[in-house]
Amino acid sequence: MSRPAAGAPKVSWPTFAVGFALILPLLGILLSGLFHDPHDLGNPLEDKNAPRFSLPRLDGGELLSLDDLSGKPAIVNFWATWCQSCPMEHPVLEQAAAEFGDRVQFVGIAYEDKRERLSAWLQRANRGQPAGYPTLIDVGGKAAVAYGVYGVPETYFIDSGGTIRAKKTGPFLAHPDPQRDGRVELRAMIHELL
Amino acid sequence: MNSMLGQGLILLALAAAAAGSIIGFASGRSNSSAGLLWTRRLAALFSLSLLAANGVMVYALLSHDFTVKYVDMVGSTSSPTYITIVSLWSSLEGSILFWGFILGSYLLGFLVSTRGRHEEMTPYALGAILTVGTFFCFLIAGPADPFAAVIPRADALHTGPNPLLQNHWLMIIHPPALYLGYVGMTIPFGMGIAALLRGHLGPSWMGATRRWMLIPFGFLTAGVVLGGWWAYEVLGWGGYWAWDPVENASFLPWLTAAAFLHAAMLEERRGLLKAWTIVLLLITFALTILGTFMTRSGVFNSVHSFTQSAIGPTFLVFLAIVLVVSVVLVGLRMHLLEDEGQLGAPLSRDSAFVVNNMLFAGFTFVVLVGTLFPLLAEAMKDVKLSVGAPFFNQLSLPIGLCIVFLMGVGPALPWGRATPAEVLRVLRVPVAVGLGVALLCAAAGMHRAWPLITVFVAIFAATVAVRDMVSPVQALRRRHKLGLGVAAALAFRRGRRRYGGQIVHLGVALVVTSIAVSSSYQVVQEGMVEKGASLAINEYELRFEESRSFREPHRDVLEATFTVLKNGQEIGSLGPRLNRYSGQMNPIGTPAVLSTAKEDLYLSLMSVAEGGSAAGLRAFVNPMVSWLWVGACVMVLGIIIAVWPARRRAPDASEEPGEPVPPEAPSAKAS
Repeated sequence: MSRPAAGAPKVSWPTFAVGFALILPLLGILLSGLFHDPHDLGNPLEDKNAPRFSLPRLDGGELLSLDDLSGKPAIVNFWATWCQSCPMEHPVLEQAAAEFGDRVQFVGIAYEDKRERLSAWLQRANRGQPAGYPTLIDVGGKAAVAYGVYGVPETYFIDSGGTIRAKKTGPFLAHPDPQRDGRVELRAMIHELL
Repeated sequence: MNSMLGQGLILLALAAAAAGSIIGFASGRSNSSAGLLWTRRLAALFSLSLLAANGVMVYALLSHDFTVKYVDMVGSTSSPTYITIVSLWSSLEGSILFWGFILGSYLLGFLVSTRGRHEEMTPYALGAILTVGTFFCFLIAGPADPFAAVIPRADALHTGPNPLLQNHWLMIIHPPALYLGYVGMTIPFGMGIAALLRGHLGPSWMGATRRWMLIPFGFLTAGVVLGGWWAYEVLGWGGYWAWDPVENASFLPWLTAAAFLHAAMLEERRGLLKAWTIVLLLITFALTILGTFMTRSGVFNSVHSFTQSAIGPTFLVFLAIVLVVSVVLVGLRMHLLEDEGQLGAPLSRDSAFVVNNMLFAGFTFVVLVGTLFPLLAEAMKDVKLSVGAPFFNQLSLPIGLCIVFLMGVGPALPWGRATPAEVLRVLRVPVAVGLGVALLCAAAGMHRAWPLITVFVAIFAATVAVRDMVSPVQALRRRHKLGLGVAAALAFRRGRRRYGGQIVHLGVALVVTSIAVSSSYQVVQEGMVEKGASLAINEYELRFEESRSFREPHRDVLEATFTVLKNGQEIGSLGPRLNRYSGQMNPIGTPAVLSTAKEDLYLSLMSVAEGGSAAGLRAFVNPMVSWLWVGACVMVLGIIIAVWPARRRAPDASEEPGEPVPPEAPSAKAS
């Protein structure tokens, strides 16, 4: 598509060399980017032993530790009353606890929160009914640090051997579309654990 | 109906673009004037079809035609009308359609401006522009079809566009400004390709290319700053720039476009750097495509990645084609674009321009590497990391300061050669003024080194700019005994480009000073404030009065009212808000800002305790931030002055390069 140039065609090989040396790595990097999900924060604890914790229960005050669950798989949900989406997630978890509670132990761990506020909040959320699973108070946020909690809510799936199998960042939310329904997703993750 | 009409128009545009690009290249090669005529007709058809397709989409949005896929995605009967129109660019499919609207508009302008002129260049330029148009029409027709017909579901929620777009009026103008900047780069890109294919770069084509670059450059400047302003007014973290990948993506082509505008002057005046100026055009365009890829592919974790879409790979292929074709063309044709002159002595304006271009290129490289490094790290070692603001700040501060310093040195030096004594003479006063102001700032309590250096450099450059604008007026008055007003008007008319350029430089000096001061002297306080109690920050006291929640058509608002006392005197009240949009989990804040020339008092509402007994508040005092927006407006004003069309003269005879330049030649220094 070019007009013949005056004289012999001259090709600038240095231009090719420099040009391709710059653009090929650039394209390679961008291409590799297509195969990674930037929102996937990774889970360094996957298939590792779940960090031990021993935390006071909201309803009594006596300590509950991971070892007390004696051989049941556990679902540990970090949450807080100040978190915007936790109220929407709460009924989903309660429903699952009612459905699977005999085979799986649900545990809530309250992150950066106050006892009075938690009690009042749960009272209201459960409409006076007793809670379907215990909530522990993460004194000083040590458990959250040990689990590497990025933000609340965050849910860890621990098998009966005490190994972390999966993690969910963000809430399980009900949705009319089964593709996006957190209830469906949660049920599938529980079945994986059993 | 709308679906079919829209799809038909897009297919028409696609056909016109594909045919036009082929005929354009062919007629460029055969120098056929009939071919050129047909290329122009097809380009006009392409443009008008895209404009009409956008009209159809706006009509579908306004009439809530939920059988059109895009309307089904972003439409909402509860949104106000202006939000409904804005939804056109709120999501991927619509924004690419809108892209077509802008390209169509630019292309019509280009067709008008090249009527009967540049006949050996326009076929190639149109060929290249329509090739780009073909790609985008292909996207709209296929992978990102906004017009696809859908059967509306009964339970569809129709919650409206992304809430970030509904939250603030700035979001209505930020994306179009940015698009006008991005898309407009297609025209100078096509013109650069034409110069390469023709193997010839004459002064009048260069002048036209420069003007076509100035227009999108002005929009890009506005778009980048509006984005910063929007972040400041909406995101609530008290700052305006975070080196987010997509912010960087808009800054990268700005840097290379700025480099081009300066290199083009050296080319015009001295016939130097011909190949390099063309390379800058190609890079600038490639960076706009890279920017679009970054925003729209979902590869980057960013506040801007609204859409996780499958068109990432398509864009990447297009970017690869653009880059490979560019490198090959430059490699094959570069020898035809030989420099006509000799670079001046190390102490000369020529050298200042060359160093300026090296700095712009270096800046671009640093920002590009920093932006892509997380991807590289993940590809090589599978680690997640992010390159934070400190990296960018540390490197951009010295480079930026050198550029601003040269902004003062360059216009002060003569072309060709300067003696050290001359340099001393012309720089003496600006350096003294800069030092004087910096010392005053130090005396007034600014004690950190970097802000003080920045103030010195900015004031130095601003002084040169002012002198450069005043001295022609004085010369005219002396020589022709004119009154001040007449002389100023005459000088302005003769040296419009120079005045535009120096006004841009003044704007840059303001922006840079504002950034240095506001980022170094920000004060933050935060806490839970009980009702009736106050949070103190500097000389302000913020008393929490009450909180209230109410419903607006498209959102629920929670607002806390604070009375602002300064030194015990009540000076007003501020109401930072948290807005919650239907279908969204997390609220989006709207901080409340009290702006004065000296500083901004900036309140960000974090939470409100139940019953409204207390409010979590984060308060900032940001000094001099308003000058950033003022400086940006000054920059845009300068660009408008520089680009404003002069009355057509005999075809650009005065712009021959290489001719001896009298010190007050109208087009000597500018932009």
